[in-house]
Amino acid sequence: MISGVFGKKSLPLVVLFLVGLIFLPYAAPRFYIYLASVILVTGLLATSLNLVLGYGGLYQFHHAVFYGIGAYTTALMLTKTSLPTWVAFASAPVAAAFFGLLIGLICARLSSLHFGMLQISLGSLIWAIVYRWYDFTGGDDGIHGIPVPEAMSATTSSYYFILAITTLCLLLMFIIIKSPFGRILQALRDNPERCEAIGVNITRHRIIAMVIAALFAGAAGSLFVILEGSVFPELLSWTLSLEILIMCLLGGWFTFFGPMLGACLIISMRTFAGNYTEYWTLILGLMMMLTIFFLPKGVFGFINQLFSSKAPDLPLEESSHVAD
Amino acid sequence: MLQIRSLRKSFDGFLAVKEANLSVNPGEVVAVIGPNGAGKTTLFNLVSGQIRPDAGSIRFKGEDICGLRPHQLCRKGMSRSFQIVKIFSRMSVFENVQTAVISRMKKTSNLFIPAHNIAVKETEAILEAMGLIDKRDSICGLLSHGDQKVLEMAISLGSDPQLLILDEPTAGMSGEETARAIDLMKHLSRQRGLTILFCEHDVELVFSFADRIMVMQQGSTITQGTPDQVRNDPQVKKAYLGSHD
Amino acid sequence: MELFTGLSFSVLCIQILVGLSKATILFIVASGLTLILGVLRIPNLAHGSLYMIGAFTTYSIATAFSQSSLGFWIALLLAPLIVALIGLIMEQGLFRFLYNRDHLMMLLFTFSFTLVFGDLVKLLWGSDYRSLAVPEIFQGSYSLLGMPFPRYNLFLLLLGPVFAAGLWFLTNRTILGKISRAAAVDREMVGAVGINVNRIYAAVFVLGCYLAGVGGALVAPTQNISQGMDHSIIIEIFLIVIIGGLGNVWGALLGAVIFGLTDAIGILVAPQFGIIFPYLAVITVLIFRPKGLLKSIW
Repeated sequence: MISGVFGKKSLPLVVLFLVGLIFLPYAAPRFYIYLASVILVTGLLATSLNLVLGYGGLYQFHHAVFYGIGAYTTALMLTKTSLPTWVAFASAPVAAAFFGLLIGLICARLSSLHFGMLQISLGSLIWAIVYRWYDFTGGDDGIHGIPVPEAMSATTSSYYFILAITTLCLLLMFIIIKSPFGRILQALRDNPERCEAIGVNITRHRIIAMVIAALFAGAAGSLFVILEGSVFPELLSWTLSLEILIMCLLGGWFTFFGPMLGACLIISMRTFAGNYTEYWTLILGLMMMLTIFFLPKGVFGFINQLFSSKAPDLPLEESSHVAD
Repeated sequence: MLQIRSLRKSFDGFLAVKEANLSVNPGEVVAVIGPNGAGKTTLFNLVSGQIRPDAGSIRFKGEDICGLRPHQLCRKGMSRSFQIVKIFSRMSVFENVQTAVISRMKKTSNLFIPAHNIAVKETEAILEAMGLIDKRDSICGLLSHGDQKVLEMAISLGSDPQLLILDEPTAGMSGEETARAIDLMKHLSRQRGLTILFCEHDVELVFSFADRIMVMQQGSTITQGTPDQVRNDPQVKKAYLGSHD
Repeated sequence: MELFTGLSFSVLCIQILVGLSKATILFIVASGLTLILGVLRIPNLAHGSLYMIGAFTTYSIATAFSQSSLGFWIALLLAPLIVALIGLIMEQGLFRFLYNRDHLMMLLFTFSFTLVFGDLVKLLWGSDYRSLAVPEIFQGSYSLLGMPFPRYNLFLLLLGPVFAAGLWFLTNRTILGKISRAAAVDREMVGAVGINVNRIYAAVFVLGCYLAGVGGALVAPTQNISQGMDHSIIIEIFLIVIIGGLGNVWGALLGAVIFGLTDAIGILVAPQFGIIFPYLAVITVLIFRPKGLLKSIW
């Protein structure tokens, strides 16, 4: 299958890596722990996008909306209600999944670019509401000083919490990709018409996939609240959506850990390049152009290709789509 | 098993299928022949639900199936292959067929069990029967065209259909590959008792193999009958066979 | 509500005219995007950046000629040409090697241009915003229904039909237009009859970029010229193009009018939430006609 990087052979590698992450706080200064947390949260977001993008072949152009909804749900529950903290965190993925269902119901009957465009417009509407509704969402200021419990918000404990949730989510997503549902999802990406001919209700399947992806994006959003203690409308912005698309591209969207790697590359480079230059996005843009020109399958995809010559060179999009 | 009456479909004013009539009885092998542009592929797309007809009726096992989507028809026991190969090109041969079997077993919404060991025996049996077992783990996007066409058939079998619809199963094949495909079709019909509806360019091949033949021209059915009947039909001679000699 | 009083009726009329004059700029920019989408199949996110570059270049040229009363007009002439030149370099240098890539790759590739252009603008013009005075002849307002209506907006209103007519002429009456429409439908076929498709593609791309530049130049005197104007316009024109029907110039016109009007009226009805009205209009259109109002050539 596509995710060659996570075969039985690479399982020890993953475990080793995880152990390394567990011991990171003993070895690294606080700043790096924080940076690792940022990477984990963003990587989780990018992986959830890749579930529908790389595995489902859906043009999910505005995935950050679900991230933002998750973050805002947690933030609003913590600031405006006196419900227990765990409710605030548990409702983030639920709210995001609900919006995933809503947007999915509207978009799923369309294919490729039309799907992506409609999603952009729906997402922009949600962004606009958040951006303007000062009384409820704090408008363009966002919400700051969210009362995250002390036990969660200290750098190290938040790191462990984020690591645990991210690992759990990645594991779940991995299982889903390997499940019959995931298989059909990939079949849908490869050939929707054939998929329909073998008895798959493709609209329904796409909607479920979007709900699942939104759920995990919402979880990532609530982790963001733990990390930063604040939320702002940029979390739902189209720019962020495109940034995580780049992460998937850079890491390789036919691989499971590609998006995580992409997040790691981009965030570390942004952090370190930021020390030297304010023109970081220029570098990122040039880097992307080079990637698209020379490594269209991303870093992991490229490595995979080096090691297994059999992976065919196929575009993400099939030339044929089911007529509406 | 399948009855089509006065079926009509137009695209942007162009009548692709004007007046198609066809009946397929259980266990039969029925061929549709006709020159290029006669509307054979459109007819098949109408039957399998890819497109909706403008008028006319399609009955499958006595039930009106007009307007049903392809996935619903598949669930009712109709499975098809495509003229232009449509396979899951990033998956292995095994996974392609297994995906169809998973879908037939209605496990598509199962999120938490690994897919790779579902229905292994059944999938392998299909691959065995279709002579693809040697290529079990090849990525099918890299197979030869002939193998891909056979894989098309194998995927259709994964749905365990009663009626198998094959749109030009030998298109683009070499002579040797064609012989192999015909053997497979004979096997499916005789050993498994499948009802097969197919369309084909090669008239000789059709006459040697089909139980009954339907002839189409410019979107309309000219006649339907046994190979002998069709061969001696003056209209067919004039309209179709005549132009070949 | 005040809407029902006599005074508010004239407010509404003025607001509609303002909305339509804003729609002119949106239409000019969006028509460039839709041409590129229709013929080259590139969802060009960098279109917004080119518009921003057009605005900044207009500012610089107009300021350089500030002693002359023709400063803005020289800029209106030159800035779009500079943008078109950038477009030519982009197309000839990079895009033409990528035409066989899928849309997602193209989208991300053009997005990388927005990142690069964004920083280049910051590098060249700094992060402060700029503002440009309305050219002398169009300073001040006319009085309409007892309300002031800026002269420059009237100029924009008159310019809209001129551009629409020009584009109509170009796509329907010239050989370039006919070939490019044919190339949009079937590239191989056009290539097979001996037409140099690459040259057509380059011409259309450059024309599209030119229109982005014109939009940027025209918008320069009406608002602050700032970083970030690329992001706000690109989303607006993408939505306009999609509700119009991808690749359809008339769709872009219709979409721009819908967007401009709902925006202007939305601000009147609910100042705080004015921004959401155009999005609501877009979604309403797309729910009923998911492929846009007019025929999409996709």
